[in-house]
Amino acid sequence: MGTIIEASATATATAHQRSMTPGALELADAAARACLERANRTAEELDLLINAGIYHDKILSEPAFASLIQEDIGANLGHPAVAGHGTFSFDVYNGACGLLTGIHLVDGMLASGTAELGMVVASDMDPEPGISQGFRFPGVGGAVLLSADDSRAGFTAFRFATFPEFAELFQSAVGWQEDARGGLAGHGRNILTVEIAESYAARVLECAEATAREFTAAQVLDLGEVDLLVATGSVPGFADALARRLSVSGERVAPLPDGLASAHTAAPAVALESERLAEASTVLFVSAGAGITVAAALYRA
Amino acid sequence: MDKSGGRSVNGSEHWMAMEGGTDASPRDGGYTSRFVGIGASLPERRLSSEELMASTKHQTGIDLERLTGVRERRIAGEGEDSYTLALGAARDALAYADCAAEDLDVLIVSGISHYVGGLRWQLDPPLSVSLKEALGARRAISFDISNACAGMVTGVFILNDMIRQGRIRRGMVVSGEYISQLGVNAAREVRTVMDEQLASLTLGDAGAAAILERAPEGAPGIEVAGFTTLAEHSRLCLAFPAKIGPGVSMYSDARTIHDVGIEDTVPMLREALDQAGLEFDEIDYLIPHQTSTRAIKKGSEEFYARMGHAPKHVVVTVNEFGNTSSTSHFVAMWKYLREGRFAKDDRVMLLAIASGLEVGIVIFKVDQLVERYGHDH
Repeated sequence: MGTIIEASATATATAHQRSMTPGALELADAAARACLERANRTAEELDLLINAGIYHDKILSEPAFASLIQEDIGANLGHPAVAGHGTFSFDVYNGACGLLTGIHLVDGMLASGTAELGMVVASDMDPEPGISQGFRFPGVGGAVLLSADDSRAGFTAFRFATFPEFAELFQSAVGWQEDARGGLAGHGRNILTVEIAESYAARVLECAEATAREFTAAQVLDLGEVDLLVATGSVPGFADALARRLSVSGERVAPLPDGLASAHTAAPAVALESERLAEASTVLFVSAGAGITVAAALYRA
Repeated sequence: MDKSGGRSVNGSEHWMAMEGGTDASPRDGGYTSRFVGIGASLPERRLSSEELMASTKHQTGIDLERLTGVRERRIAGEGEDSYTLALGAARDALAYADCAAEDLDVLIVSGISHYVGGLRWQLDPPLSVSLKEALGARRAISFDISNACAGMVTGVFILNDMIRQGRIRRGMVVSGEYISQLGVNAAREVRTVMDEQLASLTLGDAGAAAILERAPEGAPGIEVAGFTTLAEHSRLCLAFPAKIGPGVSMYSDARTIHDVGIEDTVPMLREALDQAGLEFDEIDYLIPHQTSTRAIKKGSEEFYARMGHAPKHVVVTVNEFGNTSSTSHFVAMWKYLREGRFAKDDRVMLLAIASGLEVGIVIFKVDQLVERYGHDH
């Protein structure tokens, strides 16, 4: 039995602009709905719904963002009079590795039979444009729908690694800043600040390469067998640079479109929009983010 | 419950995502997981409800202690935050579990609050990266989750599934909640007993950690774990960075949450107990989320009336610790273990009802856990 990707979808701020400035929730909702539609599934079929996005509307900390998405897409909102089947939703935060981490958790619950259908959704949007400092990720949401299939291998292995010695290179936080003109308080406001050091791009590549090599060696996988590399690191050019380091042909890299090259938590779903997954037999996923944290996964068609 | 007509489109007979019991998780590996260490970290500083209400900006006339039963709560002092509370609790749990951090396969940080370095809410990197490093949990897969006050119980659900399958042997779920500052913000704005920020005045700071591992063959442990999200109520409680000062403000319709929480939890209780083959009165200790003594008492009475049975004991610690959010079940468990209140063959139910609306239930036998706290009765 393997965990397979039934469908993936994305929603960008420009394409799904129902409001003047769509928030992360609107993007997540749109991606989730599109993903279910592509798979010809309904929201009621979902057992699990995991949100892996970080930069929310209002930087909401409660409830889980996933529960808002669940309500918006209409996935088993309340308990019916007779027994049926509900949806369990919660958030996973693992930086740019969150989507793969969510896939790992869904994979486990599909394998045990605790769930039959799960979706991981991720979206990020500047919560306060013009006020946030250093926020440079494009507004985009992504969703990946997963189920178990007895006839296909699907995700066969995962690996996660952390490099805390580089934690300071990518930091984001919300904190109070005194400002005589600022906010409703009139003396300051809580402001999101994202700080990414210049050296981050080089270090994250090194960490991703090391993890990918350890992972493929442990899986006895020759990198030459990789048909498709889905590599995301919130840094433009990350996938191509990692492919060069791993000696994977540039033609086998799932590209991120212009304008979404620094997509954050939704990036793997964005890369899957290249629609090359269906033709690939061996897919290597590598995501890297703050921490530095690296997640790798092997997917076989 | 009549399940015959309730099969869903995907074939599930359960409303909840369910692990264990008569027919849940059909492809798991047949292993049982058990708690082997519950740790906590409580700040030294105490703040009474009388002191907190004396600090309100407006004359509220609210007798908070009489209304909620919260006599006092712990509040973080200099140098304490979500991270330090979580770290302290994790080390405490490791000591009781008699295992090394290197033995952990998974580390899940599950708090709502992410304060590191004072009132600095860290979004990237996740807290689990630095916690893993500080503990020396070299081999562990680490990540953060967030699921309101059900966060730690959600972490238990995740670890239980992994252990039952044989994917991992041992994991830790840990949370550090530095949330007393919500009370500070609420004290500046609350005017009446109907205020949407009233619940913030009951909050207290705490860290808690739980270590689960694969039980030896035939040994007792977690019997059933179930979770669901009734998202039609997802917007009844919202928390986000405060507009009036540092920290967070939380706005909740506490009365509606209580009412729908009770109404919607009853069928979930029935489902989980059915799955375990138990009646409610076979639960020795019910540990509900610690919101207020009045809410726990009222809710328990309604459960007894609807279920026709009552658990033997209901654990209440909110009077001395306040509502410590995601840590509340485990701070209560830690206190009862240390005080020798559980017997070895006691069966405990953790009941999480949280914003979302999340309903989570974990039923387990205490067993060897009592001996780890110096008790053998």
